[in-house]
Amino acid sequence: MKLTSREENGVVILEPKGKIMGGPDATMLHDFLHDLINQNKKKVVIDLSKVEWMNSTGLGILISGLTTLRNNGGELKLASVTEKIESLLTITKLITVFENYDKVEEAVKSFS
Amino acid sequence: MGEIERTSDTIRIPSSTDHIAVVDEFLEEWLRIRRVPEDTIADLAIAITELVNNAIKHGNKKNQAKKVTIRLFMENGEAGATIADEGTGFDPGAIPDPVAEENLMKEIGRGIFIVRSLMDEVEFSFPPEGGTKVTITKRL
Repeated sequence: MKLTSREENGVVILEPKGKIMGGPDATMLHDFLHDLINQNKKKVVIDLSKVEWMNSTGLGILISGLTTLRNNGGELKLASVTEKIESLLTITKLITVFENYDKVEEAVKSFS
Repeated sequence: MGEIERTSDTIRIPSSTDHIAVVDEFLEEWLRIRRVPEDTIADLAIAITELVNNAIKHGNKKNQAKKVTIRLFMENGEAGATIADEGTGFDPGAIPDPVAEENLMKEIGRGIFIVRSLMDEVEFSFPPEGGTKVTITKRL
């Protein structure tokens, strides 16, 4: 997995690419999300359009990021979720937990 | 630390999550050569990496002297795998329901649930010599 990030109107947009299956890739995303809190950056969108699939490790990282951000007055939103990941979010009922937008721009705008 | 061992249908790894990506490459190539549909490959890859993570962390407790063995098979219109660890076994019935309201925000505990959702059959066995062996199959 590769991870890039950018900032738009005070919102951090993370763009993981590849698969999130556990191991060093998962640690990287987890650490990145938690570092944002330390930098007082609490509005985060994860663009999942380039993530082929993830297993429960990936879902756990999303939940961990969401919980940590909310506990610090922030929010984590998902955008451009692929069909495969949306089906995992649905069967695990996590679809009810995350704000989920079709496009990154919509997710960013929702913070204003 | 130990080496990764491969045969035509089997890969055996030391108990470190650093090797998960190698397992994924091995299984995806094996299935793609046999013309398994991409969507099915993704489901099997999710399920197998899920079970390998469990075997490493919960079965072998990350003891790299212990191995996780993944054997792939395709027969009778089904593709699948067996994932075996060298741990002490566990009770699959004792796993809390991850979609229950009180468990929804937990970071862990969804692995087996996801595997059962994606696969057509999931069977746990506990060989007399020890460890947990999980056999998963998906109809093609």
